Amino acid sequence: MRNSQPETPVTSMGERPTRAEAGALTGVFESLRPDLLRFAHWLARDAALAEDIVQESLLRAWRSREALKDPGAARSWLLTIVRREHARVYERKRLELVPLDEIVDTHAGPRSRDPDGDVFALRHAIMKLPLEYREPLVLQVLGGFSTEEIARELELSSTAVLTRLFRARNKLRVMCGLAAAPDVAEGPA
Amino acid sequence: MNCAAARLAIGAEPNATSPALEEHLLECGACARFRTEMRRLETSIGRALSEAPPAAARARAGARTWTGWALAASVLLALSTVLALWLLHPTDTLAHELTRHVEAEPDSWISREHLDARSINDALRSEGLALELTSERIVYAHSCFFRGHYVPHLVLQTAAGPATLIVLKHEQVGGRRTFREDGMQGVIVPAPTGGSYAVLTRGGDERAAQQLQHDVRWLPAAR
Repeated sequence: MRNSQPETPVTSMGERPTRAEAGALTGVFESLRPDLLRFAHWLARDAALAEDIVQESLLRAWRSREALKDPGAARSWLLTIVRREHARVYERKRLELVPLDEIVDTHAGPRSRDPDGDVFALRHAIMKLPLEYREPLVLQVLGGFSTEEIARELELSSTAVLTRLFRARNKLRVMCGLAAAPDVAEGPA
Repeated sequence: MNCAAARLAIGAEPNATSPALEEHLLECGACARFRTEMRRLETSIGRALSEAPPAAARARAGARTWTGWALAASVLLALSTVLALWLLHPTDTLAHELTRHVEAEPDSWISREHLDARSINDALRSEGLALELTSERIVYAHSCFFRGHYVPHLVLQTAAGPATLIVLKHEQVGGRRTFREDGMQGVIVPAPTGGSYAVLTRGGDERAAQQLQHDVRWLPAAR
């Protein structure tokens, strides 16, 4: 069964979940909270802000819980709400300073090549990816979203999503000391 | 399928495949090697992303339980408490949040990034301050979201060890204030014309913080 779009307004009080269903939903929310927090953290790059985003997202999700028709799809439904909440925060709090992260990108060199060193370096490298590349990558790898789902969520064409995913990984290649692959043309948004 | 299309497909979805891609890879060793590299990288990306957020954030998250509408009430109560604390003890709250912020970025202390001092100083100039520093002293530099603003968060090497500098252009404090919390000590220093900066260090040695404060200079003309 397909879920309604997140945050659909409640239209019928007759469809409200029973007390037992609401209890079960609370359990689902609680069990998914670590996933949501990790997802928000990778998007926001700040643990405290990620917590705020997840908290607000869960409140929004609870208010529009009737929109969740299929409890099995709760994870992707909640991840979508978290992503939109992060986008709201991002829109409200535009960068006001010279972005130091861009300086870090420019001057950071490759790190050690041992496996743990690679993961350590990748954590930093992913954190430094611009949001336009980090967001589809996190949606794909951590959220399990398909290219088409990411395209719908980000309001891009599938080709544009593929291009951003390619560029995200290409940047990570370079940050890990591998040669960059030739760039591809940006797909139409 | 040509090489450009193959590399786009591999780079976007390293573990996906298609008959056209497999056919191309049989004929193109370079693209086949590219896929091998990207699949190896993908394993590392998966490991990197699957790691949990820093311990401080997880501990706080684990302390919460969600019980229906009680959740909304608890959030309101928490907001009221935070607001009250903020109004009654603004500097204490600021110190606590600074400590939490630094705790949430534990990698900053051990980072070894190679950054250009001139670029960093150019960025800081817009914040109204200058630093006496050389490139090799800068080990970490990010714009961090803190109290509703993006603020510069630097870790600088001093003769007495690393010290964190966070520039708080939007935080007004009444006077210089020191604090200790969770094994860290810090000082919040007001600017002559508004705003402030904080220096935090770990352990009991305050020399790193003192050295860093000597290196900071406000730029009144820029404020």
